[in-house]
Amino acid sequence: MKRLIYGLLGVGVLAASGFLIQRALSDGLVYFVLPSEYAAEPEQYEDRRIRLGGIVERGSIDFDDRELQLAFQVTDSLETYPVRHRGTPPELFQENTGVVVEGRFEDGVFVSDNLLVKHSEVYEAPAEGQHIDLEELKDTLQ
Amino acid sequence: MNELSLGPIGSASLLLALAFSVWSLIAAWVGAVRRDAGLLTSSRLAGVATFLAMSVAVAVMEIALLTDDFSVSYVAETSRAANPVWVKMVTLWAALEGSLILWGWLLSGYWALLALRAPNTPLRPWALAVMASVQTFFVLVPAVIAPPFEVMNPVPADGPGPNPLLQNHWMMAVHPFLMYLGFVGLTVPFAYAMAALITRRPGSEWMLQTRRWTLIGWGFLTAAIVTGGWWSYEVLGWGGYWAWDPVENVSFIPWLTATAFIHSVQVQQRRHMLKAWNLALIILTFSMTLLGTFLTRSGVVSSVHAFGDGPVGPAFLAFFVVVTVISLGLMAWRWDQVRDRADLDHPVSREGTFLAGNVLFLAIAFAVLLGTLFPLIVEAFTGDKVTVGAPFFDAATLPLWMGVLGLMGIGPLLPWRRARWQTLRSNLTWMTGVGVAFAVVAAALGMRGTYPLLTVGLIGWNLASFALLLTAAVVPRVRVGTRSVVQVIGDYAFENRRRFGSMIVHLGVVVMAAGILGSSGYRVDEQVRIEMGETHAFRDLEFTALNTFVEQTEYRIGAGATVRVERDGEVLGTLRPKINSFFGQSMDVPTPDVLYLPLYDVYLNVGAGVREGQDFVILRVVRSPLISWIWVGGVVMALGTAYALTPSRRRERETLSAPEGSQTA
Repeated sequence: MKRLIYGLLGVGVLAASGFLIQRALSDGLVYFVLPSEYAAEPEQYEDRRIRLGGIVERGSIDFDDRELQLAFQVTDSLETYPVRHRGTPPELFQENTGVVVEGRFEDGVFVSDNLLVKHSEVYEAPAEGQHIDLEELKDTLQ
Repeated sequence: MNELSLGPIGSASLLLALAFSVWSLIAAWVGAVRRDAGLLTSSRLAGVATFLAMSVAVAVMEIALLTDDFSVSYVAETSRAANPVWVKMVTLWAALEGSLILWGWLLSGYWALLALRAPNTPLRPWALAVMASVQTFFVLVPAVIAPPFEVMNPVPADGPGPNPLLQNHWMMAVHPFLMYLGFVGLTVPFAYAMAALITRRPGSEWMLQTRRWTLIGWGFLTAAIVTGGWWSYEVLGWGGYWAWDPVENVSFIPWLTATAFIHSVQVQQRRHMLKAWNLALIILTFSMTLLGTFLTRSGVVSSVHAFGDGPVGPAFLAFFVVVTVISLGLMAWRWDQVRDRADLDHPVSREGTFLAGNVLFLAIAFAVLLGTLFPLIVEAFTGDKVTVGAPFFDAATLPLWMGVLGLMGIGPLLPWRRARWQTLRSNLTWMTGVGVAFAVVAAALGMRGTYPLLTVGLIGWNLASFALLLTAAVVPRVRVGTRSVVQVIGDYAFENRRRFGSMIVHLGVVVMAAGILGSSGYRVDEQVRIEMGETHAFRDLEFTALNTFVEQTEYRIGAGATVRVERDGEVLGTLRPKINSFFGQSMDVPTPDVLYLPLYDVYLNVGAGVREGQDFVILRVVRSPLISWIWVGGVVMALGTAYALTPSRRRERETLSAPEGSQTA
């Protein structure tokens, strides 16, 4: 009898922690997408925190060193989105380099609070007019 | 190169260590099966010989690093001639191959010590055989799978130096060392647990013989995790100490299971229960260190510390599978011996709280493991790339931590078997009263939110528990004798090393909880721009940018700003955050500067590179309340562990316990 009660208690505790974990996972999961993937189904990521990865568009960087606002465009050669980031650009941040920004879309602008430069020797920017291998880009950035 | 080349000597000593280890393994198993004393002695001596050969390998690598012998592949890949001596020394564990030699060396050191010092019990031959088997894997990896002593041809003139993040702080000399001492220390109880299963002696014997090893391993692991947190705080530049990064998580999971283990073994020692549970916990602890090493050394999970891919990851995966299957299989095979026959007398008892605490620790470990592996699972099934961030880990583990803090206060006050309701009620009243008072004061001071107030309440609850524990121990003795209170407390602490040590460790946990609460709930993190010579007000502080500077040494350039920190016109200190560039490395390393104060830290990091003649500086300012309490709490925990380890006169008496299956009086 005692064993049964302890067994039931154990199952109860497990179920409770399972519930906690499940709830935490559904809130804490952050998807990593490329701009074109986001464009394909924006409603799926609505009001969700996501990680957006891509290449910093040439000539798009604008850093206001009074207000400490950084603005640039991130692209995967198919789709391009404007990004606004509060804070200074990291050391290795430059045009045509891979970046991952974390945050959410607000009125078509991606508002980021975390900017990571993915400087990789593997990735090479494509020549003008050429498309990027999206799979490869995603693997490089992840 | 010349007649005496270090590479071949290093390779030879690793192969020699492998040969000794393999011989020891064979001699140990055969000797244990045949009860052949000669073979067993030979095996033990071979264990010592393995340690000596591994020591030669470590010494050769250190000589190669210190003499800039770039004909050795590991030196060519990770060292740099212009680096200072201490960096060259710690470069031994700055990359994968070297850190594996260190691991193998420390393991062989523990093994040799065990071979020489362990009392001759029925368990010893088998425990040493298991140690020899584990050791063989840890020599096989550097000797064959990831050899660090390859001869470079042509010999490069210089190398790139270690990862700049590792060169940038002296803590890198300490933290990995502690981590490996912890992992390796917990191999000893694992080996004795296996021996207990093999010999069908799953009683308390194996844990009594390894009590000190377990505590030492746990203490080092605790110290390693805390120093690792401090390292991230001082180096990574975001003002935090724990990011739920996979590498952090996989060191934390064995700590959680080991913490559960050091509590539940006491239940078996006192009450002869939880035999299977304890065996499973130590198996889990050991196999989790292997799984963690696989995950972080194989590039399977992306992490700031990942060492990249190679054959080492699969080797660890294979070893993890083999160890887990064999040890759990052995346990299943011996199920008849390990299952419990005694029952819990009453859940409101010391063992009841230990058991509940165990369940919580395991649930936390499971949540952390799940969060770490979840991106892999999702990608395997859906192809989506996801990350599991801090919000998951906080949400999943915070309620469980609250339970742990609650049990930590009540558990030590409860007697074994069954609590007397009257004592319990008076204790609970005091603790709840103090806890509620703490929470009310915190709320009056403006603290909001369930978890923060609950944490404050639980801190009060635990402080009351300490007071009650001390009172219960001391008051009767003061009444009886003629000695003063201080003398009595001193005597009590001296005579009850384990109990008093555990109280100190728990006190450290309380201090740390306060630090975690303050620094994660109430930190202020902002970027500011300050013109040179001007003052910027930030909360109750004032920052004055004094100048910018560029300083150069032989191996790096640092560029930063000098900033004076004042409060109410009083100068608190001058900070010099900068960005270091190491020659030979493309990555620049932010080097924050921290003003450590008792109530909060002021943490400054240069936000954007400082150029020569620049008339302003952009700073990231983080003000974290109580964050230094985390490090203080860690030190207290380490001291408590060390205190519990000092030899005690009462040790023999404490191990006496009620006969198996006896019922409550």
